[in-house]
Amino acid sequence: MGQASAVGVSATDHAVDCRALTKTFEGGTVRAVDEVSLAIRSNEFFTLLGPSGCGKTTMLRLVAGFETQDTGSVFVHGQKLDGLPPYRRPVNTVFQSYAVFPHLTVAENIAFGLEMRRRPRAEIATKVAEMTALVKLTGLEARKPNQLSGGQQQRVALARALANEPRVLLLDEPLAALDLKLRTEMQLELKRLQAELGITFVFVTHDQHEAMTMSDRIAVMRAGKVLQVGTPAEIYDRPASLFVADFIGETNLLPATRIGARRFRLANGAELEAAEEGTGERVTLAVRPERAALVAPDGEGIPGTVEQVVYVGADTTYHLRLAAGLRFRLREQNREGSVVRLASGDAIAVAVPPAAVRVLAE
Amino acid sequence: MRDQLRRWGLLSPALAILGLFVVAPLGFMAFVSTLDRGPQGTVVWDRHSLDAYVQFLFERDLMGRLTINTDYLRIFSRSILLAGLTTVLTLLIGFPTALWMAFQPLSRRGFLVFIVTVPFWTNLLVRNFAWILLLRDGGVIDSTLRGLGLTSGPMEVLYTPFATSIGLTYSFLPFMILPIYVSLEKLDRRLIEAAFDLGADRWRALRRIILPLATPGIVAGAILVFVPGLGAFISPELLGGAKSMMIGNLIQEQFGQSRNWPFGAALAFVLLALVLLALWLHSLRFRRERAQP
Repeated sequence: MGQASAVGVSATDHAVDCRALTKTFEGGTVRAVDEVSLAIRSNEFFTLLGPSGCGKTTMLRLVAGFETQDTGSVFVHGQKLDGLPPYRRPVNTVFQSYAVFPHLTVAENIAFGLEMRRRPRAEIATKVAEMTALVKLTGLEARKPNQLSGGQQQRVALARALANEPRVLLLDEPLAALDLKLRTEMQLELKRLQAELGITFVFVTHDQHEAMTMSDRIAVMRAGKVLQVGTPAEIYDRPASLFVADFIGETNLLPATRIGARRFRLANGAELEAAEEGTGERVTLAVRPERAALVAPDGEGIPGTVEQVVYVGADTTYHLRLAAGLRFRLREQNREGSVVRLASGDAIAVAVPPAAVRVLAE
Repeated sequence: MRDQLRRWGLLSPALAILGLFVVAPLGFMAFVSTLDRGPQGTVVWDRHSLDAYVQFLFERDLMGRLTINTDYLRIFSRSILLAGLTTVLTLLIGFPTALWMAFQPLSRRGFLVFIVTVPFWTNLLVRNFAWILLLRDGGVIDSTLRGLGLTSGPMEVLYTPFATSIGLTYSFLPFMILPIYVSLEKLDRRLIEAAFDLGADRWRALRRIILPLATPGIVAGAILVFVPGLGAFISPELLGGAKSMMIGNLIQEQFGQSRNWPFGAALAFVLLALVLLALWLHSLRFRRERAQP
C-alpha cells in the first residue's frame, strides 16, 4: 500500500489509535463522543458495544471520516487521518443499511472501489471473481440488488468493502436487519473472514450476545465514554462498573454494606462473602444467575422461596424471593433432562460461592 | 357479470372526466382540422378536406400548383430547438439547485420548495412582462451594464430568440427543479457515503451514484419542460418579437387574427403527434434499458 511508510508514522503497531476524541452535536450540547482514547491492535476483531445513542456509531464515523472530530486525533497504522476526506482513508465501511448501489449489479458494486482507484481491468475482474467466491455469491454477479435477499445484499456490501483490501474494516451494525438464523450464520462467517484475511475488524453493535460471540476484545460504551475494554470473558466475569455488569448478560445486583474486608451484609440482613475486596462502604454485589446454586431450605445459604420457574430448554431460570423482598434470579442447566425439581411456593436457599461475587462501588 | 358491472361502475367517473375533457375536445379539434375554412373566418361544417394539413407543407401558387413551403417547418424546428435549449438550460441551472436544496437541513427544505414555487403565485403574463422591463434597451440590466462601463451601446437583447430562451428558461425552471429535488431528496445519503468510502471523490460520486439515481427526476423534469416549452406562446410573443415565432404563437394566430381554425387545429395535431412520437421513442429506450439484465 505504501501508505504506512509515509511521513509522520508514529511508533505504534496499533491498527487504530484514537486519542482523546471528542465529537459534539447541536452546537456542543450533545457530547456524542467524549474524550475517548482507544487503541485497537492489528488483526483484532474489536467491538464497540453499547446501547443506542452511546456514541459507538459516531466513533466509527470519525474513523471513516464521515464526521469530523472537535478535538483529538485518529491514527490508522501510524498514519494520522485528521482532515483527510473519507476517500483518502485506508479504511472501508460496511453500513448498517448495506448501502448497496441499487443501479449497479453485484459485480459492478464490488468493482466500484477498484474502479475508483483506477486498477487495471484484468485485475478488477480477477478481484471481483475472488470476492464473490469469498462471500459465496458466485453465480449472482449479474443480479441487481433488488433481486437479492437481505443477507445476500449484506454479502455484497462486505465484498465491496473487502475488495479494496483495507487494512481496517469498519462494520456499523451490519447484521441488525437480518433475522436470527441468518445473523448467527453471518456472525460465524464474519469471524471466519476476519481470521482468513488477517485484517482488523472494528465492529459496532448494541447486541451483547453478538459482541461476545465474535470479538477478541470489546469496548463497552455509554454516553460517549468507554467504560471498559477487555476480552469477552473479562467483561463478563469482571465488569468494572455497575452499568457494564448490568448491560452484559443477566446479573443479580444486590445493594450491600461492608462489614469486613471481604464480608458484606445485604439489605435483608443476610451476609455474603466475596473473594475480592472491592472499595467503598456501600457497594453493589453482582452475582451471575448461573454461578449461584440452589440448596435445601435448611442448608448453607440465604433462605427464600421460589416465585416462578421458567423452563427454557437448555436451562431453567428460577425467580426467587429472598427475605425482605430481595429478588434473585438463578439459572440451572438441565443436565438431567427436563425434570423440574421445584414449583413456585417451595422454600429453598441460595448458596453463593465467594468467587461468584463481584464487588462494585456505588 | 356483476363484477364487470361493478368495475365499469367504479371506473365511470374517471372515464367520464377523460371523455369529457380529453377525448371530446381532441375529437372536436380533429374534426375541425378536416373541415374547410369558411369565408368569414369560421368553418364550413359539412365540407371536408385535408387542405389544412396540405397547407402545413405546401402552398398554392398563383397558377394553383402546389409548391413546397418551409415556413411552417422552420417555425416547428425553431420551436423544437428553443424548447430543447430551454430544457438544457433549466437542467444546468436546476440540477445544482435541486442538489443544494436536497442537502439542506430538513427544517429548511420545506421553505426552499416554497421559494421555488413562489413565481406560480403571479400570472405568467405579468412575469414575462417584467422581463421586458429588465431586458429592454435602457432597462434595468442595460443601464446597469452601461453605468458600470461594461457595455457602450444598447445591448439589444429584447425581441431576439435569446430573449425568448431567457423567458422560457425562467418560466419553466421550477418544473425542472421540483422533480429532480424529489428524486434527490429520497436518495439514501449512505449511498453517497459508501461511494466516498470506496474512494470516489465528490465529482465521481456525483457522476457514478447521484446522477444515475436522479435520472427518473431528470427525465420527468425534461418532459415537463420540453413538452409545454414546445407549445409556449407567452414568452416568444412578449420577448421574442416577430423573428422568433414559435408553434404556440402560430396556432394562437390561426384562431385569432388569421381566422383559420382548420389550419390551427391541424397545426395542433402535428405538434401533438411530434410530442407523442418523442415520448414513445423515449419509452422504447427506457424499456430497452430495463430489459437488460
